This record gives sequence, structure tokens and C-alpha cells, in this order.
Amino acid sequence: MQQNIARDKASTVSESRNDKLIGYLQQHLPKLVLAPSFAVILMFVYGFILWTVYLSFSASKMLPNYTWVGLEQWSRLWNTLTWQISLQNLFIFSVLYIGLCIVIGLSLAILLDQKIRLEGGLRTLYLYPMALSFIVTGTAWKWFLNPGLGLERTMHEWGFVDFKFDWLINSDMAIYTVVIAGVWQASGFIMAMFLAGLRGIDNEILKAAQIDGAPAWKIYTRIIIPQLGPVFLSAFVVLLHLAIKSFDLVIALTGGGPGNATSLPATFMYSYSFTRNQIGVGASSAVFMLMIIASIMVPYIYSEIKGGKK
Amino acid sequence: MSFLNIENVNKHYFDVEVLKSINIEINKGDFLVLVGPSGCGKSTLLNMIAGLDEISGGDISIDGQSMAGVHPSKRDIAMVFQSYALYPNMSVAKNISFGLEMRKVPKVERDKAVQKVAKMLQMEQLLDRKPSQLSGGQRQRVAMGRALVREPRVFLFDEPLSNLDAKLRVDMRTEIKQLHQRLGATIVYVTHDQIEAMTLATKIAVMNAGIVQQFGSPEEIYDNPVNTFVAGFMGSPSMNLIQAKVCKVEDKLCFEVATADQDRPLLLPIERDQQALVSYLNRNVTLGLRPETITDPGSANRSEGQIHEADLMVKVTEPTGADMFVVTQLGGTEVVARMRSRCGALAGQSCRFAFDVSRNLAFDGDTGDRIQ
Repeated sequence: MQQNIARDKASTVSESRNDKLIGYLQQHLPKLVLAPSFAVILMFVYGFILWTVYLSFSASKMLPNYTWVGLEQWSRLWNTLTWQISLQNLFIFSVLYIGLCIVIGLSLAILLDQKIRLEGGLRTLYLYPMALSFIVTGTAWKWFLNPGLGLERTMHEWGFVDFKFDWLINSDMAIYTVVIAGVWQASGFIMAMFLAGLRGIDNEILKAAQIDGAPAWKIYTRIIIPQLGPVFLSAFVVLLHLAIKSFDLVIALTGGGPGNATSLPATFMYSYSFTRNQIGVGASSAVFMLMIIASIMVPYIYSEIKGGKK
Repeated sequence: MSFLNIENVNKHYFDVEVLKSINIEINKGDFLVLVGPSGCGKSTLLNMIAGLDEISGGDISIDGQSMAGVHPSKRDIAMVFQSYALYPNMSVAKNISFGLEMRKVPKVERDKAVQKVAKMLQMEQLLDRKPSQLSGGQRQRVAMGRALVREPRVFLFDEPLSNLDAKLRVDMRTEIKQLHQRLGATIVYVTHDQIEAMTLATKIAVMNAGIVQQFGSPEEIYDNPVNTFVAGFMGSPSMNLIQAKVCKVEDKLCFEVATADQDRPLLLPIERDQQALVSYLNRNVTLGLRPETITDPGSANRSEGQIHEADLMVKVTEPTGADMFVVTQLGGTEVVARMRSRCGALAGQSCRFAFDVSRNLAFDGDTGDRIQ
């Protein structure tokens, strides 16, 4: 009898100890699970950002060299012709890429929104390019636009002997082939974003506009599109950071050429850091790209957080 | 000549029949309420009047003019939606004047019309705001303003009050009724709330399962429902529908209703529709008793009705302040009686009930149609 009681007591003590451990785990498990990835991100993302910032002020050439040289690398960067071309190309590319993607995406979304048959199938068809990697897109378009292989040769074979389309090897026009390939890939995705926005509009508003006597195009320009503001903003942010990061598309399509006619900040950064032994210049170009993206993203994220709190 | 004429209208989506030969006629200045449970087709019918839904068969005409193939904007109608359907990107003033702008009314006239409507609805101070800055009641006003400014031939309301809280709903109901009286407008109004239907309408169409069950004035619908659906749907608390048997006691036709005490059924003398009920002798019928026809003996209306009293067991009492609803068991179901608030009825005890037998209704036990 007494033994039994003693045993019961012992088991309740060990049980309560178990309960405590489980309680502790339940409380802290999320933190324990997240800790490793948190440490890794802290180190390899934010740590390396700071390291790169430091390198941009150092005398690094082929290998990191921690001698502080102030703004020397930055002034070398801005005196490099290729960097100026890269920035110019980035400007042309992002304006056309963002503009065309939004115009084409919105038009496709409006056309798909007319209660047509096979909408599901068409939607998927337009979305497929986004599933391809930029390397595949770039390579496919390189073959297609290559005067000796693709469109131009096909047209010649069909008998249009005077047909000429050599933008890929024309240094004035090559950047526009990057725009074409980029727009082809992303506009289906932007279409999906706009389609979701269109579907979110209250059906009764459209009925009210019909009764008010607005013709279809006026319903779009006066009532629907003004309501899509948030979608425009999201599309803009998504496209802008894709544009600034563009690297693999250019590498696969033109390799930055002919010459450096299609060089973009990302390809510039890569070639200076890793093939031309100018890590300091490469680092300062990388920091500059970060500054462009941050100047767009920080206000956006801030407004999202503020909007969420409301 | 009727103003709005709905003639033999059908609607089917593929094989599903939504509306079956609807016939409704109203005059200019009438307030027609389409009432019924959700899914009965009332909103579809309204959309068809507006031209937002196509008609599968039949015709709708306004002021003698067939509306077949006429675009919604050319029908000279205005509609107020359940969600208000305000344009969120436009100010209140723009919302109200958008329809006029689309009809190419000059700006000076538009501004004048907006001011007039804003004054009528007392929302002049709201004109520059966006819909998102308005409360539910204010949005409702803007939606009405948008309809009023066009001065259409017919106003269509699609459950306009169902998104408002209870108190605001009663206020807006009164306001809509005043507006109707002042403007003499022709209105078609959809609701599932039978109180709204009774208070607002000059004509009610009770709908169920795509069929107009009964069309008539609110009094006709309330006092002379044609079947058990209309009888049960209109009125709050709803009519008691109980099983009864027609029998003859001492040469007088009576309804025999089972009570909690099996040996002593309740006998209610038949005063109404006697001729029709003779053929139902010894057959089961459904007896319809409005709660207000069952009272305590003290508040029974002896001058107009014919009162029959009986002692019954009280199951539950529900005081509402003004009245007390007393529940008892009759004919196998619970029956609600409406008594004075201090009549002394107590749950679990016996109480004296007074039945006004002159207002009892009888329905066929199988079809649910009125026997009269």
C-alpha cells in the first residue's frame, strides 16, 4: 500500500517534469526551428551586403584587399564608359519592359475577362513563358532572332528575299531584342495579376455602370482601371526589380554584346568582379544597384506595413 | 392600361427553370414588392426588368412599350443595389452625376441636379467625399441619390436595406416610403423581409420556387393567403399551421385539434368558409391561426370577433415588453399566442386561451391550397 503511494508520487513528479519540458518546447519550438535559418540569412545576406559595401571602399583587385581607399573605386566606376552604357541600357530596358508588360498584360486580361470560352486554357498558355528559366528564354530567342537561323532565314526561304531583321547583331538595336524576350516572358504573369484584379471588382458596380449608360470602353477607363491602382503598383514593383536584376537573359541572348551594346549593371558587375579582376569597382556597382532597388522597395514595403496596420 | 406589365415571363439557364410564367401588372405610382425566400427568383426577375438578364420567354413592357432587346441604359430605369455599387474611385458628387454625364447632360445642369438631390437626401456636406469615407447608411443615401437624380420612369431596388443595422434599416424604410409618397414614383422593390414588404408595398408579389404564389395588396396577402406558403411566409411571428380534422358536433361544423391531453381534443367552431368545408367533413385539413387571433380572455376583441375559450397547458412564455408570446402544444406542433404582457401565463401551468374563430383559415391537407 505504502509502496504504491510512493510509486504514484514518483511517477507524478516525473510526469510534471515531463510536462514542464513539453511546455518549454511548445513555447520555444518556433524560435528553435527558425534560429539556424535566421543565423544563415543574417550571415550570408546581410553580412555579405555589409562586406560588399566595405569592399567598394577598398583597394580590392583580383582578391579582396582591405586597404581603405575612400571613393576611389566609385570614381573609377563612374568614369568607365561601359558602366555609363549599362545605366543607359538599364533605363531603356526598364522603361520599355515595364511599360510594355503592363500595357500587354492589361490588354490581355481585359480581353480574357469577356467571358470567352477556353479561358482557363488560354490563361495557362499565356502563363507558361513565366515557367521557363531566363536562360531558356534567352537561348530560344537567340535562335529565333539569329539572322542566319531563325526568322530572317525563314522569311528568305519563303521568298521574301528583301526581309531584314538583324537587331540581334546590330549594336544600336540589340538592347530592344532583350526587351522583346523579357516582355514575352513576363507579360503573361502580369496578365494574371490584372485578371485577378479585374475579378475582384464588384459585379454590381458594372451593372450600375451599364444602367448609367456607360459604353464598355468607358466602363474600363472611368471605373475599372482607376480601381486597379494597387495592381499597377504591385506589377510595377515586381517588374522593376526583375529589370534591375536582369542578368541571365542578357547573358543567354546576347552575352552583353555586340561589343558591350547590351551590357546591363548586373552583367557589368559580374564581369568586373569575376573576369576583369576589379572587385572594388564591381562591389561599388553592386552597391549602386542595391541603392536603386532600395529606393523603390523601402517606400513600398513601408506603405504596405502602414496600410496593413490600418 | 398598366404601367409596368410583366407578361408570361420565363427564365431558364440551360435546363434549369428559374422563373415560370410570371404575370404581374402594376399602375403608375405603385410600389411593387417582390418578396420570397432566397433563391426564389425575385432578384432574377428584377434584373430582367432592368435588362441585365435576358428573358427566355414572354415580354416586359414599361408604359406600353416592349422592352425586348432594349439596352438597360435606354429603359429609363434606375437601380439601387444591395452592395450600393458606388464607384469607389469617384467622389459622391461624381457618383451621382455619372449617369447624367454619360447621357451628355451639360455640366451646369448636372451640378444643379446633384445639389437638388443632395438637399433632398440631406447629404450636401458629403458631396466631396469618397465612398470609402462614408458609413453604411450614408452610402445607402448616395446610392439612392444616384437613382433619384435621373428621374427615371421606374425605380428598381434590390434588397437595399439588408446591409444596414436594425435601427438604421427601420429609419431608411420610413424614408423610402416618404420618398415614394412625395415623388409618386413607380418602384419595384426586392426583399426577403416580409415586414419590409408589408410596410412599403401597395402591391406584393409573394414568390417561391420561381412562381408567383400570390399577387395582391398587402391586406389581401395577409388576410386571405391562397396557400400555406404565403400564409406561413407573411407575418411575424408567422402563422400557426396545425393539423386539424373537420367534424360535426351537435349539427355544427368544428375543427378538432389534438391537445397535450389526448382524451380532450380542442373543438373550434367553424365560422368562415362553411360551405366549402362541408365537403371536407371527417377529413384532415391544415388550420391556420394568426398569433394575434389567440389571446388571453381579457384582451380578446369580442365586438368584432367570435371568441371561443379553452384551457391549455403553457410550454414557454416569451415576453417582448409590449406583448407576451405564449407557446402551447396543439395538433402536434407548437402554437404561438399573442397575449398581454401581464396576462399571468406561466410555463408548465394551465392558462385560459381565447380563440377568435372568425379569423381561422383552412388549407387542404395535401395540396396546401386555401379552402374557401
